[in-house]
Amino acid sequence: MKTVLKKIATFVITVLLVTLFVFIAFELIPGDAATYRLGINATPESLERLREELGLTRPFFVRYFSWLGDFFFGDMGTSISYGVSVRSMLASKLPITLTLTLMSFVLVVALSIPIGVITSKYEDRPLSKAVDVLGQLTMSIPPFFLGILITYLFGMILHMFTPGGFVSYDVNFIRFMGYLFFPAVAIALPKAAMSTKLLKTSILSERKLDYVRTAYSRGNSTMDVLYKHVLKNALIPVITFLGMTLADIVAGSLVIEQVFSIPGYGRLLISSISNRDYPVVQAIIAIIAMIVIFINLLVDIMYQVLDPRMRGN
Amino acid sequence: MLEVTDLHIEIEDSIIPETVVYDFDITVSPGEIVGIVGESGSGKSMSALAIAGLLSRKDMKKKGSIMFEGEELLTAPRSHLRSIQGDDIAVVFQEPMTSLNPVKTIGYQVEEALRIHSDLPDEEIKKRALDMLRDVELDDVESIYEKYPHELSGGMRQRVMIAAALICNPKLLIADEPTTALDVTIQAQIIELLKKINRQMGTAILFISHDLSVIRSLCSRVLVMNKGRIVESGLVDEVFDHPKEEYTKHLIEAIPKFKKIAKPSQDPDRKPILEVKNVSARYKKVSGFFVPGTKQKLVVKDASFTMYDGEIMGLVGESGSGKTTLGKTILGMLDDTDGRIIHYSEMPQMVFQDPYGSLNPTRTVGWILEEPLRIKGGYTAKERRERAKSMLSLVGLDETYLKRRPKALSGGQRQRVCIALALMLGPKLIIADEPVSALDVTVQEQVINLLIKLNRELGIAILFISHDLKVVYELCSRVIVMKDGRIVEQGTDEEIYNDPKDPYTKQLLSSAGYLK
Repeated sequence: MKTVLKKIATFVITVLLVTLFVFIAFELIPGDAATYRLGINATPESLERLREELGLTRPFFVRYFSWLGDFFFGDMGTSISYGVSVRSMLASKLPITLTLTLMSFVLVVALSIPIGVITSKYEDRPLSKAVDVLGQLTMSIPPFFLGILITYLFGMILHMFTPGGFVSYDVNFIRFMGYLFFPAVAIALPKAAMSTKLLKTSILSERKLDYVRTAYSRGNSTMDVLYKHVLKNALIPVITFLGMTLADIVAGSLVIEQVFSIPGYGRLLISSISNRDYPVVQAIIAIIAMIVIFINLLVDIMYQVLDPRMRGN
Repeated sequence: MLEVTDLHIEIEDSIIPETVVYDFDITVSPGEIVGIVGESGSGKSMSALAIAGLLSRKDMKKKGSIMFEGEELLTAPRSHLRSIQGDDIAVVFQEPMTSLNPVKTIGYQVEEALRIHSDLPDEEIKKRALDMLRDVELDDVESIYEKYPHELSGGMRQRVMIAAALICNPKLLIADEPTTALDVTIQAQIIELLKKINRQMGTAILFISHDLSVIRSLCSRVLVMNKGRIVESGLVDEVFDHPKEEYTKHLIEAIPKFKKIAKPSQDPDRKPILEVKNVSARYKKVSGFFVPGTKQKLVVKDASFTMYDGEIMGLVGESGSGKTTLGKTILGMLDDTDGRIIHYSEMPQMVFQDPYGSLNPTRTVGWILEEPLRIKGGYTAKERRERAKSMLSLVGLDETYLKRRPKALSGGQRQRVCIALALMLGPKLIIADEPVSALDVTVQEQVINLLIKLNRELGIAILFISHDLKVVYELCSRVIVMKDGRIVEQGTDEEIYNDPKDPYTKQLLSSAGYLK
């Protein structure tokens, strides 16, 4: 119970700090929503009037807490540049970004665990060495560039998808998933390569430990020692890595949405930042922070399932 | 039952193949307890692992013959070996802390061999596992069954290891240093347990140890190994009372035998060098950012004693008794302490137990030795080097060691470097925390003699922290006994060893085999 309360407290404080930082950032960068809307030729009087109208003249903390209070009750305010409710703008895009993030994460896990296990098993074989080199290569390519390569290869040469095209989830879910698959691969590959390498080294170092010898002394076969004893221990550092990777994956998906023209949070966030549309930016950042913290919570739970030493008494 | 002839083990890892075991012969009859004794690197564990079929590294070449129950094991296919491993031949390893899988329950690990080698239903397997845990004299076995290794003490884990090894009622139990990592009182209990198992179940035991007194109390026959060869073998009493080979004699002489090496100095005008008055130390557990740390563990409770100039004082106790914490408290390495500590000398130093972990592996010995002088400041590079050289020669190492890194040194050499490091600032008091526990007996002896020499020639007072009553007897003139954070008894060596008042002191002395 205490741990649950602690987690919730961490959750709330993180969201508070993140949104506060975004507010401060908007204070520091030059220009505001009024200057963006009226352009460079606006008179000081008209700017002042618009600021008054948008509530920008109120003191900093008053603005922050009034935003926070509204957000807490589900009111995300109105977009300054589009004049529509932020909530409705974000609600339609949430499934897109969320699906892309989750799909990438699942791909990382689904690729790295089997490949890590197999390459550790055939450590000395040429195939395993080849996977190592390939992994090294993938790790050193930034996802957005990988995205361009994938668009070129699978989109323009192999015609497996239409570059720049997109089908919304409420039109055709299968095709929607299809359009997200290649972007997800672009995000997932570098992370999967790192995670594969980590799992492989982790298995190799676990195999040298005393308990493995004990397991062999009881008559276990090599496979049984791997699956019943080594794997669970070897996964512990990998889970830690996956938890840390998650924030990267979310950030990665915002960039990749640009490359593949996916109308998710990424594009909206970037245009809203340049429009100084702070209600939209605030809401997106808060939601992303919540998603990251929530998945971290899941990782923590997985950690406790795997490692009894992490469980409290 | 077991007959090994002409076993050779070769490691092809390096460019020049290295033979680690030569001409190894052994026979073990049903119900017999045979010991193999030798120092680290003698090849004793290697030979035992080969018998258990656990040396399967590709770079290891084995020749000779291992006959078990009329079958050749050395050339047998893996699948056949597996059917014997855990069923007919079981192994108990040295480190109960690391030899159990940390993420599996005790129940799983005890049952595992039975699951592999039988088709018994689950309830029957669980019943046998619980019975086995009771047989190794564990209490509350139902709750232990559900627990994980980290929740048990070292002694309990070793009992679990033994239970897991015996679950299939093996004909041969190979015990590789099973008591080395344990406290003396626990050691004695494990030895008794092995004797009982041998008597009641008729299990033959091949017992590997560097500890001659343990071998003597348990085994009927013994093999002495040195540098990969069996140098002597025979009945235990024969070998130990009338050793024929030089090496065996040397090994027996090196066993600490409650023999005084240093004459206790009892200068009537001696001045105190350290006073410890009502000292308590606790570790605080900071539980979280929002819940301020309130959990405290009192590790040292109300300790008081005085040490005098130029004396060697023993501080004995088992693991968890608070002796190391007390040592650290004296040197001001802990924050949360009560009481008063008065030092009458400057810059007392500490020598730690593990010479493998306490030297920075990336630096040269010279760099390590000069570090305290660099931190203190006021020395030229030449002065630092000169001081390092002279301290090295004091501990019996020449100046070529300055350029070496810790990896290139043996355990004994490393501990000498640690001692030289402690001497760099010219202390009058050294706190030595189990300085010989990680070393082989012959090396132990050399390090003890070095400490005695430093005490005599430089007049350095030494607080010698140890769990080993024999070693403490060799060099200490006064002794403090600690249990559960308290000093239960203190006095001269005569008082403690020949007239112990506290029941715990008596128990320690009898476990260590001290006879008046």
